[in-house]
Formats: sequence, structure tokens, C-alpha cells
Amino acid sequence: MSFRTAPPAQLYTGDKQALFTAELRTAIENEIAKYPAERKQSAVMASLTLVQDANGGCLTIALMDQVAAYLDMPPIAVYEVASFYGMYDLEPVGRHKVCVCNSISCLLNGSDELLTHIEHKYGVAAGGTTSDGKVTFKEFECLGACKDAPVVLIDKTYHERLTPAALDQLIDELD
Amino acid sequence: MLRSVRDYFNSLLLVELFKGLQLTGAYLFKRKFTVQYPEEKIPVSPRFRGLHALRRYPNGEERCIACKLCEAVCPALAITIEAEPRADGSRRTTRYEIDLFKCIYCGFCEESCPVDSIVETSIYEYHFEQLGDNVMTKEKLLAIGDQYEAEIAEARLKDAPYR
Amino acid sequence: MSDKITIEIDGRSCEAAAGEMIIAVADREGIPIPRFCYHPKLSVAANCRMCLVEAEQNGRPFPKPVPACATPVGTGLKVWTRSAKALDAQRSTMEFLLINHPLDCPICDQGGECELQDVAVGYGGDVSRYSEAKRVVVDEDLGALIATCMTRCIHCTRCVRFIAEIAGTRELGATGRSDHMRIGTFVATGIAHELSGNIIDLCPVGALTAKPSQFKARAWELTAHDSIAPHDAVGAKIQLHVRRGQVIRVHPRCDEAINENWLADRERFSYEGLTSVARLTHPRLKRDGVWHDVSWDVALQQVAAVFNTVPGDDLGVLLSPQSTLEELYLAQRLFRAHGCPNIDSRLRQQDFRGDAVDVVPWLGLPIADLEQQTAVLVIGSDLRQEQPLLAHRLRKAALHGATIALVNPYQVNLTHPNHQFVAAPQQLLTELAAIAAALGGRGAGEIANLIAQATPTDAHQTVANALKTAGESQHGRILLGALAAADPNYVAFKALAYLIAEVSGCGVGYLPPAANSVGVYFAGALPHVTAGNQPAATVGLNTAAMLSNPRRAYFLWGFEPDNDLIDPTAARKALNAAEFVVIGTAFTSPALEAVADVLLPIAAYAETAGTLVNAAGTWQRFQGAVAPPGEARPGWKVLRVLGNAFNCDGFNYQSAKDVHDELLTNCGECELTTAPQGEYSPLVTRPDPIELTRIGAVPIYAVDSLVRHADSLQQTPLAIPFQAGLHPDEARRRGLNTGDQVRIQQGDAVMTTTVVIDTTVAIGTIRIPAGIIDSEQLGAQIGAVSFSRV
Repeated sequence: MSFRTAPPAQLYTGDKQALFTAELRTAIENEIAKYPAERKQSAVMASLTLVQDANGGCLTIALMDQVAAYLDMPPIAVYEVASFYGMYDLEPVGRHKVCVCNSISCLLNGSDELLTHIEHKYGVAAGGTTSDGKVTFKEFECLGACKDAPVVLIDKTYHERLTPAALDQLIDELD
Repeated sequence: MLRSVRDYFNSLLLVELFKGLQLTGAYLFKRKFTVQYPEEKIPVSPRFRGLHALRRYPNGEERCIACKLCEAVCPALAITIEAEPRADGSRRTTRYEIDLFKCIYCGFCEESCPVDSIVETSIYEYHFEQLGDNVMTKEKLLAIGDQYEAEIAEARLKDAPYR
Repeated sequence: MSDKITIEIDGRSCEAAAGEMIIAVADREGIPIPRFCYHPKLSVAANCRMCLVEAEQNGRPFPKPVPACATPVGTGLKVWTRSAKALDAQRSTMEFLLINHPLDCPICDQGGECELQDVAVGYGGDVSRYSEAKRVVVDEDLGALIATCMTRCIHCTRCVRFIAEIAGTRELGATGRSDHMRIGTFVATGIAHELSGNIIDLCPVGALTAKPSQFKARAWELTAHDSIAPHDAVGAKIQLHVRRGQVIRVHPRCDEAINENWLADRERFSYEGLTSVARLTHPRLKRDGVWHDVSWDVALQQVAAVFNTVPGDDLGVLLSPQSTLEELYLAQRLFRAHGCPNIDSRLRQQDFRGDAVDVVPWLGLPIADLEQQTAVLVIGSDLRQEQPLLAHRLRKAALHGATIALVNPYQVNLTHPNHQFVAAPQQLLTELAAIAAALGGRGAGEIANLIAQATPTDAHQTVANALKTAGESQHGRILLGALAAADPNYVAFKALAYLIAEVSGCGVGYLPPAANSVGVYFAGALPHVTAGNQPAATVGLNTAAMLSNPRRAYFLWGFEPDNDLIDPTAARKALNAAEFVVIGTAFTSPALEAVADVLLPIAAYAETAGTLVNAAGTWQRFQGAVAPPGEARPGWKVLRVLGNAFNCDGFNYQSAKDVHDELLTNCGECELTTAPQGEYSPLVTRPDPIELTRIGAVPIYAVDSLVRHADSLQQTPLAIPFQAGLHPDEARRRGLNTGDQVRIQQGDAVMTTTVVIDTTVAIGTIRIPAGIIDSEQLGAQIGAVSFSRV
């Protein structure tokens, strides 16, 4: 047996209905329903996304523990997923997330300029949040839209072929 | 026959004696090599392997990290080390001893030291008054290192291009 | 076999089973392939990429080098482990691994025995092409046993896989990504598992090293001495690593039939006790209430002089079941020759009514066969605490689908699917009766009544069915553990166990509590059994009888009466009343000095030669590795000299082997059986309805003196303090909360302790550990208690 599929030593014995809100539980159940019953843990990424969105854009250890309990996973397995992927934030974030792709195509097409620009204009390095709590800037691994590099993900929208000026405009339009 | 006659006259006229005196006389006027030890001392190579010392870093931290490579490499089994974690968690010796009666001054300990901690200084004038003094403890070795750090550092620097 | 195929590795044709990995075949053939993450006992991760080899199948080469650990063999496979392509791939992998690995070998405890060092010598470049900053990782705090230096980690995930797959707790993980990846618990919880020390062995680099021996020695300074682990009945094979007469660390030796590659932490770190300040280093004699260090001659002459004036029957001899076979044999020979039949070594047993029909309490099958069982009923055992490695075998069986059921006075923490029946000791018999009833068992006498009253639930039925099915295929086992043995009604447990075994077709086995619990039968260190497991001519008093009818003089060997006897209060009373008490012990304590008149310093396990008989009845001889401290001497030598002082014949042994050989001759005909020599006729004692029963399980790190003196083990979370665990319902009924102080009364004994609310404790019981500090103030491990709030 691989440790990837090893069941947790102790299943969560508490009341699962007490975890999260009713809407969140329904949304997670919808995700779980997409997979075979014994592969409930496949819904971990979707669940984490839902939980993160419902909690101000970031995950805490307590929230990850709840996801683990809900999906009958060992907590560490959830931490592994949450810490691996760039779209999960484990620290408090601003109201919006601006993710600049740093992978090769975007880099060749000027994503590093975007990052330098951000650092100069907004005074925060990648990974930081502006002092007014409006935007968190992130350097992101390949966003998978190389043909229109450089790509920036603002909240849930892709913006392609961006110049510093275009990026500024997009950020200004955020509330 | 002829040879015995020649030998007879050579010995009668002290020819060999005068040959010897000639050499002595020649040296009488040549430049002198004698060093008036201990008032005078011969120059010592930076690679000289004399009395041992344990060095410190400029900030006062002892260099030795208790890797025990010197103990392992010592062909005379003259080095004894005990180690354990210091209060700050770093690896340090609690005992570092060199028995100078066993030591053959081969310099392997210095060669093997990854942090240039154990060194052989150019000190060659030392003696022991009591049995037991021959065992150089960590305190003694560190004290020597502290006292002669400038010379030790200079000697290492001079030798550095050839290493 | 028909599914054998032939493959070719480095031009050599090798036989392999289809589906096997290349590296497994190569290992069997002795062809070296470098590796870090692969381990035969763990799942394949293929994440170090060090084992890349060149391969082709049926003439078609694989486009890239393939990992030997994750490529199954097939027909027509040809592998080159040393071709230019393979070596190039291996060298490149090595270079990548070394990019972030610190060059701190001189201060790394793994230095000199490091897999990365070894492989780097073979494959590493002499100059690094990497000039950027190296990665630094914050260290993990994994507790008192494991030191970490996570910067050295090469992410092989062996530790993660061990903790998940073997330990079964999945506490470690690899969080983060790329060069931010780190191994750890993420939430800094530490690891509390009885097998955790094995990740030290598994770690191919110096990221995980042993904390108790941290920085104490380099690998090349250590001399390895083979030995046998002395704290449980597995008898794990170990290697004592000795430097200048001191055991620096303990490593396991691989034996698939006994301990596989693993070793419990208890065996791995107990050596710390050897250098404890509490070691007894001189024979000591109490004269007029004052202790004096004396010579062996004086001490032994004094012992012989006093014992010669005491009739044999007025003597009581209690021997530790952890002692070597040689010591047990010599002691019983000595005292039987002296006319004393009162010899016992079952120190944690209250109920001796089954002695007449008992068999040797052994496992009943080879240890490795536990894995093949398909249903196991464990009666009265905190498996992981008592028998870490047997619990691991049972876990393996459970993961292969076996039904593991436990009947216990508290819920035990297991990391595999299991059925647990938890009840107070009196009701445990009812639970067993229910299983027996579900199997259609009848029984006789009081057992029949119990069964008639029992109402099997679905859970009982499920277990009964599993036992029945397993029994039919000869793969079922009923195991009796230490909590059953400590019960005042042990015979009833045994009777029910044999009844269930009979009706289900399963075998009965025991989980012997101590290293030589089986050996005591061969040595004859029991009141009713003499050397060679022969019935004794005169049946003497057992432990309980010796303590309840105080003897005039006692001879205690290898244990501390306060911690190792089931009822310390009764023991203290009896010993205080005795005229003369001789204690042979490796450790001294104020408690020992209070009761003893003579203290004889004897060697602990690494210091003496001897033999231990493990749970499966395997005799394992070992040699001493270090000298005992001060004047302490190996136990067999002390007993031999004592034999001479007693003027016994035939006490002229030259070595421990002489004793062993003599005993072996005595035991020539001994064969271990599992069927009792008759019926247990238990009186199912129906005591007055008692308020609460104390359950005094012995914590894992309190089983013997050596473990109790191992400081690092005592700092782990598994070393639980003296406290009273109560079920929430019981506590609510009494208005108690965690942290409240209560006065526990057990018989005459009274002790104050703190309440801990614990859902695992059965209703009607109070869980107060035995064998630890303060527990000596109470009575029997399992018995009625009453308590009041302070």
C-alpha cells in the first residue's frame, strides 16, 4: 500500500455537519460527487478552493484540518496539497490577487518587467500586499497561456499580452 | 719500494698535518655559520611542524568542530577527543588531548583539519617537568593558539600559495 | 514457478518474477545500483532518480534512462547499469542532489556511514559547478529521540513513507514545492510512535540522526557487537555500537523471521540507562541500618551465612523474567538444592489457579506467521505499548484484510482497521462469552452460565464469523496479553480463550510480557516447573503466595519490587517484615535500600553473556559487549560463586556457555505445545459490586529498570505520568474535571493524583498506570479502588 492512499490513522469522529457552512458543504459535496466514493480525497483541491474563497482568500491550518476531516484525509496530506499549489494562500491576503506568470514564455515576453514595475510602483515585492490591503502580488508558476505571454491572473480572470501600463490600468479598475 | 720511501718522508715532514692546518686556516678567514643559540635562532619555515595549537576564529569562537578526523588520521594514536552538543546545539569537543610523547609531529592532523583548527606552530622550545605535562589539554592548546595566533596566521598565509 | 522470466542485467542473465522491479532483481543478483529513495520494505517513490539505468525491451531501447526502482521487469528486458548513458544519468542526478546539500560532513553524525557520501565518492564530481546560494531549511522538532538537520535532506521521503506505511500515522509529509519543498509535520507536532527511531536508520543522509547519541562518536570509532534486545519477547536482533567501553547506540540487525529491519524505540534507546547514575557499582551491606560498600566475598559470605540458617521453605525467591536463561537456571538450581521450592518469575500475575494445566505461554507460532493470520482475537493487551513489533506484524495482517479484534479494559490506539470491545474487567468476560456464544460454544460450569447469559451483538457475530473462517483455514489466533495476565481472574480469560479457540478452530497464543517469559519455563524458575519445563517434585509458593504469606528471607533478582511487582504495596509489606532481603540488581534506589539488607550489583544486558527465549520459543545467545561498571559482575558469575558459597555441587562453570549447554541438555526433549494439559476450572469470581476497577497498564517506557533509567525515552510523550484516566460519563457522575485532585484508595494504599478525562477508558474503570513513579503507593495493577475528591 502506498502512503498516498493510506487511510488516516484515526477517522474524524466529530460531527461533519458542524464543519463549514451549509452552502459550503453542499458545494464540497458536489465536488465529491464527481469522483468514485472511495476516492473522496480527489476533491481536495476543489474543496480547498471553495473554502479559501469563502474565507477571505486564504487558508488557515484550522480550515485545512476541517477539509481533512471532511474528506477523511490525514491533515498533513491536505497541507501538502495546499502548500504545493500557488493558488492557495496560507497567509492573509489583500482584497485582490494579481498573479504574474514567471515561466519561460512570459519571462521572454517581459513578465520580469511587469514584476519590476510592480515593485517600483506599488512598493511591494512579489508575495507582498499593498499597505491599503487592496492587492496582493504574486509570482506564479506557469499559468498555461503561453501563446499570449506575458499573462497576469487577476483574481479569477486571465489578462494577456500585458504591458506595465495596461497592468496599471487593470489594477486601478479594481475596487 | 718507491712508495714506502715517499710515505717515510711525508710522515717525517708532517705534510698531512700542514694540509689539514691549511684547510683550518682557510676557514679561519671565511664567513661564519655558527648560530649563537639561544641568543640567535635560525629562520624557521612556515611549514615547520612544532608544538600544536588549537585556533579560534576572529570572533573568539573556537574553530574545532569535533569532526575527529585528526584523531582518525593520527598514525601514533596521540589524539583523544570526546564530543557532545554544546548548550547552543553546536558540535564541540569536551575533551581534546594530544599526548606529545606519542606524537611524531607528522602534521597529518593539520592536513586533515577541515577548519584549520589544529595546527602545528613553529614553537620547538618546550619541556615537561612532570609526568602528565606531556598531555596537551584543550585549554593548553587553545591558550597556545590564542597567544601565537598572529604568527600562526602569518605562516598559513605564506604557505597558502603552495597548497 | 511458471511466471518466472529471464532478463539480462549487465550481460548477466537473471531470473525474475514478472512485475518485480529491476532494482529488486539486481539486488538479489548482487549487482550494485545506487539509490536513495528505494527501500525494499517501503512503497516505491522513484523520486531520487539515482537508480537510473539504461534498458531495452525486445530490442527496442527505452528512449530515456529508466529508474530501476520503478520499472517492472518483462520478457526480453535488457538492462545496463554501468553503460555510458546510465553512468551519465547517475552522475547528473548526483550533481543535482549535491547542489543543495551542505558540505558539513565533518559535523554530521552520518559522516562516515552516509549513503550520500558513499555514492558521491563513486559518482560525484570533485568540483561543484554550482555557485549560487544554497538552500537552508528550518529544522523540525521531532522530539527527544530524533535530531534533525533538514538542510541536509534530499527529499527521498523514506521517513514519510515509513511513518505512513509502517507506523501508520501519516504525521510527516513533504510540503511546499520545488526548492521550497520540505519534509516535516508542517504543524510542529513531533512524532510520538513506538517505532519512530527507525527513520534514523532509513534516512540516507544526516537529516535525521539519533538525538541521545548526537555528536558522541563517529562511525569509524564504533565497534559493533551482536546482541539481542531485552525489553520484549520478540528478541529483536540488535547490534551494540561500542566506543571505549561504552554503548553509544543500538542498531537493528535484519532478520525477516524476527524483527525484519525494524527496532522499537524502547530497544534502541534503552542503552542510556546503562550509564545512569543510579547504577549499583559495589556490593552493599546494611549493618545496623547503615549501608556499607563491601567486597564481593563479604557480601556473598553474609548471604550464604544467613540463608543457611533459614529453612528452605521460609525463603522466597523472585526472579525477573527479563534475566538471562543462565541466571534463571542457576538461581533455581541453587535454591532448589537449598531446599527452597518457592521460586517464581511471574511478577505481574495475580491469578495462579491455572498453574496445573498451563502450557508454556508462548506465541504458538513463528513470529513471521502472524502476518498470515486472517483473524486474530487479542485479549487484554495494549498491543503497541506491550509488543511494538508484534503489533506491527498484526498491522500488516490487518492491512491484508485480516480481522483484528481486541477485548480490552480500555480502547487501545491502533493504526489499522480493528474491532474493539471495551469494558471493565468483569464485563470483558461477558464480551468474550458473547463471542463464544456467537460461535455456538457451550462451555461448562460457570463459563456455561456466562455464555448462556451473553447476548451476542452484530459486532460479536462479525468477529466470531471471521474467527470461524480463519480457524477453518488454520489462520486464526487467539492471543492473551499482559492485561489479561494481570487480571485477578486470568484463568477465566484462559478458559474462554481456549473455548473460543476450540469452537472456532483457531490456535491460542500468548504475548509474553518480558524478554524471557518463555525462557523461565525452560530454566525452571517457577514454583511448579523445574529445569527443562519438567513438573517440580515439590510445588512451591507462587509470587502472590510468597508476598501474602511473608517469608523470613527473600532473594530478589533483576527487578525493583516497587515498580516491577504487580502489587507494590503488598510487596513492600512482605519485604519490610522479612528478616533478610537480598536483592541482585543493576540499579539502586532509595526504595531498594529501604527494604534490602544486601544489594548485589549485577550486569545489565549489554554487559553479560546469556540466552533469551523469544515469544516463538527461539533460543538466542548473545555475548557481553561492555564491562559492567565498578564491581558489578555478570549475574551468572555471581550465582555461580554463591553456589560455591552454599556448597552446592556442580557449580564450577567456566563460562555462560557451560551453563547454557547444561540447560540445553536438560531441555533436549522440550517441545512447545499450545493445548493445555486439562480443563481450566475457573471460579468466575463475582466480587461484591465494586465502585471502580483500577486498570494499571504498564506504560511502554516503564517495563523494566533499564528503560526507566533511559532519560530520552522518559522525555517522549509515550512516557505517561502518574494520573487517573476516567471516562467522561464516570467523571460527570462524580462532578470531576481534568485537573482535579483525587485521593485513590486501593486496599490500605492511598495516593493522591490528578484526574484526566479520557474517552478511551471503559466505564466502571479508572486507568492509573503501573510501574512508574508514585504508582508504587498503590496496590495491584488490576483491582478495586475507591476514591474521593481532595
